[in-house]
Amino acid sequence: MKDELRERLARIDPMHSGVPMEATTSESSQELLEKIMSTPLKEKTESTPAPRRTWTIAVAAVAALVLAVAGGMALTGGDEAPVAAGPPLELTAGGEDIMASCIAFSPEALDDVAELAFAGTVTAVDGETVTLTVDEWYRGGDAGEVVLNAPQGMEALIGGIPFAVGDAYLISAQGGSVNYCGFSGATTPELQAGFDAAFANG
Amino acid sequence: MSSTIDRRARFEAVVDEVFDPLQRYIRRRIEPDRADDVLSDVLMTAWRRLDDAPSDRLLPWCYGIARRTLANARRGQKRHLRLVHRLEAEPQTGFEPDPAEAGPDAELSEALASLSDDDREVLRLWAWEQLEPREIAMALDITVNAATLRLSRARSRLADRLARQDDAPSGHEAVEGTMEQR
Repeated sequence: MKDELRERLARIDPMHSGVPMEATTSESSQELLEKIMSTPLKEKTESTPAPRRTWTIAVAAVAALVLAVAGGMALTGGDEAPVAAGPPLELTAGGEDIMASCIAFSPEALDDVAELAFAGTVTAVDGETVTLTVDEWYRGGDAGEVVLNAPQGMEALIGGIPFAVGDAYLISAQGGSVNYCGFSGATTPELQAGFDAAFANG
Repeated sequence: MSSTIDRRARFEAVVDEVFDPLQRYIRRRIEPDRADDVLSDVLMTAWRRLDDAPSDRLLPWCYGIARRTLANARRGQKRHLRLVHRLEAEPQTGFEPDPAEAGPDAELSEALASLSDDDREVLRLWAWEQLEPREIAMALDITVNAATLRLSRARSRLADRLARQDDAPSGHEAVEGTMEQR
């Protein structure tokens, strides 16, 4: 059935006004596609629940946790952001300290080191970033999505958490860095129990 | 290795199908100078996740990847705002064509611009990408029911805005027939 509103909307489609498009057959498109198809894959096999080795990103000293959007968030401790846009946020000290003093996991310890904590599902792993949709905030945020950013990339592995699209994780963070040392990781009954206990009182 | 060759063949088939519409989708939603990077990222993700690609809804599936990639790209600009920095409520759609350049139907452009991000996006998917609710659902990662409802409400709200504009002196566009969903 003809729909006038739909047709009228289609007429204001900006792509009608001659926006230049790259052809699939152009040299640069072909180059791009070739580059993509030459990217080595460590894909998870389809039906095996077995090892998750898809993407491993260091989320320890080098990882920056960037929370974004979804209505803004009110966290403590105002911050003077550097004004230059562009490269991902790089964090130094905080994360390293947490790594260095790899304290044993306990709900109490988690309570101490978690400024932020949430349960999330990975929706995308792209280069140096992992995007999670937040399933539940345990502490300190209200964003719907969280981007974990490892500015030094995959190489800087000081023990990483393997992130696979579609899998669930429990993440805690402090000072803008993901807590490592077992304070974040793929959701397991044990870690879940630890998070539940640590944040039982909000 | 034959599986590699097979994968390449499958990916090339996907690219053949989605390249142009995907590119349009992206160019409608982000500044021209960033569109190529986003396209490249989306295709890379599609390559990695090729095994998840639903053969009957390839394009909406790619739109879903593009939606998340665009969100990341916009967020990338904000990365310098530290974790504890309070972010302004960021529009989901970073790039809006200037209504003044929207051509003859300024009335509709204005009405569209006055809607919420969610309403605008569902209407764009419907009218610009020409998706049906089932496909909109996949692109937005929501259920078909939710997509149907969201579209219906967005249409009603757009029609309302237009009707209100019509109460003003200028012309009388035919927006009846879009109200039946109320």
